[in-house]
Amino acid sequence: MNHFESELELLKADFVKQWEAVHLQLKSAMRALSSMNKDTAKEILSQEVKINELDLKIEKNCENIIALYNPVAIDLRFILSVIKINSSLERAGDIAARVAKFVIKSGDDFYSDLITKTNALVMFEEACELLKDTLVAFQNNDSQKAREIFKRDEYINEINKTAFLNVIDSIKENPEEIEKYLKMLSLVRRIEKAGDISKNIAEEIIFYLEAKVLRHKGK
Amino acid sequence: MKTINENKLAISKRRSQNIAFFLLGFLGYFIVAILLVILSFIVIKGFSVISWDFITKMPEEGMTKGGIYPAIIGTLYLVAGSMLFAFPIGVLAAIYMNEYVKDGFVKKFIKQMTNNLSGIPSIVFGLFGMSLFVNKLGFGDSILAGSLTLGLLVLPIVIRTTEEALKAVEDTFRQASLGLGASKWQTTRRVVLPIAFPNIITGLILSVGRVSGETAPILFTVAAYFLPKLPTSIFDQAMALPYHLYVISTSGTNIEESRPIAYGTALVLVLIVLITNLLANALRKFFGKKVKMN
Amino acid sequence: MQKLESRHINVHYGTTQALKDINIGIDANTVTALIGPSGCGKSTYLRLFNRMNDLIDGIKIEGQIFVDGKDIYEKGTNVDSLRKNTGMVFQKPNPFPKTIFENVAYGLRVNGITDQKFIEERVETSIQQVVLWDEVKDKLKKSAFELSGGQQQRLCIARALAIQPSIILMDEPTSALDPISTAKIEELIHELKTKYTIVIVTHNMQQAARVSDHTAFFYLGELVEFGITKEIFTNPKREKTQNYITGRFG
Repeated sequence: MNHFESELELLKADFVKQWEAVHLQLKSAMRALSSMNKDTAKEILSQEVKINELDLKIEKNCENIIALYNPVAIDLRFILSVIKINSSLERAGDIAARVAKFVIKSGDDFYSDLITKTNALVMFEEACELLKDTLVAFQNNDSQKAREIFKRDEYINEINKTAFLNVIDSIKENPEEIEKYLKMLSLVRRIEKAGDISKNIAEEIIFYLEAKVLRHKGK
Repeated sequence: MKTINENKLAISKRRSQNIAFFLLGFLGYFIVAILLVILSFIVIKGFSVISWDFITKMPEEGMTKGGIYPAIIGTLYLVAGSMLFAFPIGVLAAIYMNEYVKDGFVKKFIKQMTNNLSGIPSIVFGLFGMSLFVNKLGFGDSILAGSLTLGLLVLPIVIRTTEEALKAVEDTFRQASLGLGASKWQTTRRVVLPIAFPNIITGLILSVGRVSGETAPILFTVAAYFLPKLPTSIFDQAMALPYHLYVISTSGTNIEESRPIAYGTALVLVLIVLITNLLANALRKFFGKKVKMN
Repeated sequence: MQKLESRHINVHYGTTQALKDINIGIDANTVTALIGPSGCGKSTYLRLFNRMNDLIDGIKIEGQIFVDGKDIYEKGTNVDSLRKNTGMVFQKPNPFPKTIFENVAYGLRVNGITDQKFIEERVETSIQQVVLWDEVKDKLKKSAFELSGGQQQRLCIARALAIQPSIILMDEPTSALDPISTAKIEELIHELKTKYTIVIVTHNMQQAARVSDHTAFFYLGELVEFGITKEIFTNPKREKTQNYITGRFG
């Protein structure tokens, strides 16, 4: 293995570590949400610092590799996707932190009901699975698996839509709790965003493997 | 244990290196010493007879007195004549060989023949020159016959040095010239020859040294035993330094008495060769600067 | 019609085959880079276009090379005028042992031009084309060897331009130069493209990426891939190409 390749390996190791850490954060956030456990939520916030640090490190390494090794072809696409996926992961980490903050601020029975009603946990579970599967697709160079992510994200979007309607109905029934409902709605939105992030990551994986740009193309 | 061995190894390596350096250095200086001994021997013995008269006067009293002027002039004529003959032919032959003939049987054959030619003893050239130029072509004992014979003798040297000089010219120069639409001859004349010129000059000078010192080829073709006048045409006989030296040391009227003159003659001969060599170096440097590669 | 085209080119040196069935078409006013490891045949291929390989003993060339639609290996081709239409630049700057002026004038003189005024004009425009005029205008009568390596190489390009070729062949033109001189030559290539068709052999892949429109990757005498440079360097079709340009060869 030459110098360049060992640099790439180091970068890849950090990158996979970050990916796994973010997946873990989302999972913890889901558990914290399901049991409204504030300790787990606090733990998530302290982990968030580490994720931000690694995010910067990976970005810096990508910059160095481009400057020093002038990567081309598949190497260049790899670096470009690392940069993009890395920032997606950081955003996914942010979502976990936001959920944790939500749990800390507003953990009470009112929300537990609502969470069950909106299927938020089902959504969350699926979003976590998607992120895990993007990692599997990346590690196995499996663009087929990456493509499956798109369909599964639509499922999340479906749940999101029904959740939205559910919440609207609830507001109509119980207009004086509108603030709480809106907070719930934005939480559901965030979880849905986590699914979108996995979809973006899947697009980057396909670009890296097949050199095809899938974004901004009509379906 | 290991370190001790390594130290030993280092010491023995250094020792063998020192021995090799000493031997090589010694041999190098040894050669210089031989040269110095010969030169100083000739200078010491010959210096006393050298004078303006010695190099500008005719020999006198059975070559025991007087100068060696006609021999110097004769040698210069022979050098010039042989070069006029050998240089153009040799250079053109080398150009043909190196620039035009493709690798193959013909080239190998010509090369081998050239090498064989240079291996022939000079006395054989003398005999050949006598039978061809002196007798067959009827030039008689003359500067022409002697020059042609000497020319034949140095032809292989001229060819070989010129060939080497041409070979040393990088091919990209030829390609660059041909690439501009130049013909092969234009390329050779305007690009290759100017670059090879300094090295060709070296070959020329080497052959001058060779020609001025040869005795055997002129023995039967031009050299006069004693001729106290200058040649007036190329069909005249002439005296020459090496032959003069040979004559007064072996078969002169009074060998003992003409001994100092012999050393004087030897010194003049050596000086001529030395001066041409220095000249060659100077020329080479001068032209070399003009075509210096970066 | 394409400017340059090779059809089923096979080249043998003695018993070894240097090029195997090479088919490439090159458009006018483009830069085509030939890349590949040493001994892959790219230089041999370059030299087909001005029949410079003819000089090599024991070479056998099969197939056709078209320049402006004419097969230049056909019997009766005027090699001198073919070469006049093709400027060549070499790996090492190789100005002739002449003055700066005479170096550039050489191609005109050997082609029988004697009008001194015309020669002077052409020499000046050629040197200006390679952006060397300001550096040498006061020493045109000096030896070309007094110039720096980079200047010498630009002079060699000017020498090639003086005879107004339509094709320029470059054989690793910057491999003996420092980075700044290299950058100048690359910039020059970019400018010359508007008037000439350029084929360049290079070992420097970044250079190929920077200067060329099309890239041909040769390996062991075969053309592995030929395509638009941008695609070759972002998404090569063949794995061999990918391995070579990413430095994972072998």
